[in-house]
Amino acid sequence: MEDRPPHEDELVARAKRGELDAYEEIVRRHQSIAFRTAWVITGSAADAEEAAQDAFVKAHAALGRFREGAPLRPWLLTIVANEARNRAKAAGRRERLVLRVAEERRPGGAVPSPEAALLDSEQRGELLDALAGLSGADREAIACRYLLELSEEETAAALGCARGTVKSRVSRALARLRERMEVADA
Amino acid sequence: MPELERTLARLGRELDWPETPDLASSVRTRLSSAPARTPRRRPLFRRSVVLAFAILLVASATVFAAVPGVRDAVLEFFGLRGATVERREALPTPPPERSLVLGTRTTLDAARERIGFEPLVPADPGDPDYVYVRSVTSGGELTLAYNARPGLPRARSTRLGLVVSQFRGDVAPEYVGKVTGPGTGIEELRLGGERAIWIEGAPHFFFYRGPNGEVLDHELRVAENVLLLERGRLLVRLEGAFTRERAIEIAESLR
Repeated sequence: MEDRPPHEDELVARAKRGELDAYEEIVRRHQSIAFRTAWVITGSAADAEEAAQDAFVKAHAALGRFREGAPLRPWLLTIVANEARNRAKAAGRRERLVLRVAEERRPGGAVPSPEAALLDSEQRGELLDALAGLSGADREAIACRYLLELSEEETAAALGCARGTVKSRVSRALARLRERMEVADA
Repeated sequence: MPELERTLARLGRELDWPETPDLASSVRTRLSSAPARTPRRRPLFRRSVVLAFAILLVASATVFAAVPGVRDAVLEFFGLRGATVERREALPTPPPERSLVLGTRTTLDAARERIGFEPLVPADPGDPDYVYVRSVTSGGELTLAYNARPGLPRARSTRLGLVVSQFRGDVAPEYVGKVTGPGTGIEELRLGGERAIWIEGAPHFFFYRGPNGEVLDHELRVAENVLLLERGRLLVRLEGAFTRERAIEIAESLR
């Protein structure tokens, strides 16, 4: 028995031949980043779920047009982001993205180890406040590039902009974030 | 703050992201219901024809010409609160196999928060394998789906053993429509004192109407055997490759 997980190119080739198991595995590998990206765009978990689900169904239908050997994730994220944007537009609203830190996930009452406490609460609070004060577009750019840790190519896919403009858009958003933090410090 | 980018990445890992739903399974279910089909919502019939139906609907304020085949006489008409069934002389060509549109995958508990009624679950076969909610109609529509199992053979139309949909029939009196040909058996029943309709046999069409009575053509699909029943304010629809007796058993176990 071969234990090695199948390579993505192999999964794509099998999915193109109509193997649903292979496509299911592709979805499983990318569902988290797809859902979170849709959430960053719509601000609503329910809308994000519907958008990501529809996007994966559409991507399956479009798989024949996917160029083999190309990176799959940016291609998927383009479809996910389109769905998410369309859904937000159709609903005539976009929920405000509320970012929170997962305090409650720590075991009850346990003091986090120094390693676990990556950011001190003051630093976190400051950052979250500054992010909350940004425009939706700036927050989206920062969330995609840094919070989701997407590559530039993937960030371009998620923001629906050209790859060449990602760098400037993100750096402008970062500059505004810095300004907000400096104002808060002052 | 030179390390701002790195700090943001660390923050991203500590964020309370909403839990990722099991998209792999829900996408798989949708694709299984129509393999190798594009999910694009292609109109099944010429737009002009559909428009003509919509106009006719408004003009006549009846459900007479709800779907294609307008020139075919309606032989019989049956109505429940929430659903209509028409038997026609002839049926148009069956629509191509298509994905089931069931809505957003969720859990029963989460569904309770999102729909405007208390869900009915059949004690036989019990807890569903999949739960979906969609908000096309007022109060929402809840669908419980069950994989095939002994006593619930896999249906060709849904690739599932049983599909149970429910919505507020009192606020959407014509939400679900069905059109059958002469070869399809339609039987009016009474279940626990409430009205029901059993539809069995030759393929029949199943479609939804939008808020203004218009036929949502992209929702039109061929259905398997179906039991439609009123239960209080709700209209419940059971679909599967089951017999009338089996469908009634399941309906009687709805709690």
